[in-house]
Amino acid sequence: MRKIEKITVTIDGSQVSGCEGMTILELAQQNGIDIPTLCHSPELTPIGACRICVVAVEGSRTLVGSCHTPITQGMVIYTHSPKVLETRKVIVELLLASHCGSCYMCEKANVCQLRKIAADLEVGLPRFQTRKRYYPIEDVSPYIQRDLSKCVLCWRCVRACNEIAKQNVFGIAYRGFNSKVVVDFDQPIDKEVCQDCNVCIDICPTGALSKPREVGEEKKGRPLVISS
Amino acid sequence: MSEKRIVLKNCEVIDPRHITTYLTRDGFRALEKAQKEMTPEEIIEEVKASGLRGRGGAGFPCGLKWELARNAPGDEKYVICNADEGEVGTFKDRYILQNDPFTLIEGIAIAAHAIGAKQGYIYLRAEYHHLLDSLVNAIDQAKERGFLQHVDIDIREGAGAYVCGEESALMDSIEGKRGEVRYRPPFPPTKGLWGKPTIINNVETLMNIPQIILNGASWFNQIGTERSKGTKVFSVSGDVKRPGVYELVLGTRLKELVEELALAEKVKMVQVGGATGRLVPYDMIDTALSFETILGAGAITVFDQSRDVIDIVYRTMEFLAEESCGKCAPCREGTEAMVEILGRFFRSEGMEKDIRVLEELSSAMMLSSLCGLGQAAPIPVTDSLQYFRNDYENRIK
Repeated sequence: MRKIEKITVTIDGSQVSGCEGMTILELAQQNGIDIPTLCHSPELTPIGACRICVVAVEGSRTLVGSCHTPITQGMVIYTHSPKVLETRKVIVELLLASHCGSCYMCEKANVCQLRKIAADLEVGLPRFQTRKRYYPIEDVSPYIQRDLSKCVLCWRCVRACNEIAKQNVFGIAYRGFNSKVVVDFDQPIDKEVCQDCNVCIDICPTGALSKPREVGEEKKGRPLVISS
Repeated sequence: MSEKRIVLKNCEVIDPRHITTYLTRDGFRALEKAQKEMTPEEIIEEVKASGLRGRGGAGFPCGLKWELARNAPGDEKYVICNADEGEVGTFKDRYILQNDPFTLIEGIAIAAHAIGAKQGYIYLRAEYHHLLDSLVNAIDQAKERGFLQHVDIDIREGAGAYVCGEESALMDSIEGKRGEVRYRPPFPPTKGLWGKPTIINNVETLMNIPQIILNGASWFNQIGTERSKGTKVFSVSGDVKRPGVYELVLGTRLKELVEELALAEKVKMVQVGGATGRLVPYDMIDTALSFETILGAGAITVFDQSRDVIDIVYRTMEFLAEESCGKCAPCREGTEAMVEILGRFFRSEGMEKDIRVLEELSSAMMLSSLCGLGQAAPIPVTDSLQYFRNDYENRIK
């Protein structure tokens, strides 16, 4: 058996070591450096779609996605240089520009990862006036409700369904700005296989996927008591 | 004149339907030499020494790519010829495929022998469907004569996506998936088609191989500039009197090609390298065409003084937004945002702050996009902002 090599890299000025095959993101997290991610999820194979986790690596013409780039011996990485932060901000701004923006009405507003990243990077109202994505809410299935106007195309549901649930329900259709997570030939989701698995709902970073609300559900919780 | 025919040596000389006409012009002699007199390592050394760089636009050293694939572990390896000539304004590969399919087949056969591949693919652009029969015929004839005993060459047709000319999307397309780019590393020479070591070369790159093997690296090495060896085939179109395909020694001045050969007049600017190519204003027309300066895939689009820069950039961006694969956020959303901003300039409704927004957006897209499309999409914008800033400023409401 081959021995796993130790690799030493410089990350934000300090020398740290990791193992062969580790990604920049993993090493950063191990050393307490926070790199924002959106499409990445540790339980899924990396895809590098959102580009929010980009970092600067010396000698590289462009920034590199930290969630999929393996570390190499002697790499010099900057995770929070001005260039990196500026780029991340623009990407988040772009995602917000086409996002429906109804956070006040969104059930997931307080757990939304897009909103959290935007707040962390101090991104306010986006400067771009692109089209908003608009799709009707799909609530045919009693188990899953899809509001693709809120989708940021991170592919998490697609990968989770393929890799964890092993049902391969979702796919991507169309291209460019019109890309969309679809079921079959862009039909509302009403699959038999989509029942109680919930894997995609839990992994969705925004409010695009949710459990349909049952009648009277709001009233089932504990009464809200405001103490003075 | 610096016209020199290396790649186009047999074009319009041989009959593309009959292998016999090719055989009389040293056809398949390079393959014979490569198989009988050279080891695969020697072939790769020869290609490396020749200084041949990829002709698809990126200019990666061809020999190095082959060496990486040769040394990558695994028995199953692939050679892909990228004939998905999608770049706006290029038609050189079409001209080559139409007139000389045999040299290409010989090039693929040598490449396969060098890296140890048993399977080769030609990824043919959907719009070139009319060339399919002639290519199949050429492969069959080469097979009949026993030249392709070590490798099977199959043709895979694209479905009309611009992004599938990008190597990783091209591989996805051959695999039968949706044509989307993959992140790198791993690079195709170590993990490519179906996860196996793969080399992907442009048609024109492979066309150079037989002659490098026959005449030696030192012969090829003398042609061109220090870091750009050999010749380049250019497709010239736009406001010129003699549009067409020209093969020039690398390092030739743009002026010579545009004004002396293609007979352009009152040039305002030249776009070198297609939709995502650099803009060259007329006062820089003395620039040399080489990898050190500007080159791309060899598309030369000439615009005369009647053309409007904003119009050109706007329409280019509309094209890129439509052709973005939609995988990575900066390209998918960024091209769309650019179309919106440029559209306002186009209608003379620009805003002062838009210019800064365009610059910041361009920088973010160039730095963070997943593939060459998103990284190069802002080039027409940044170049036009650099050379034709007045055109933007005049369109501010």
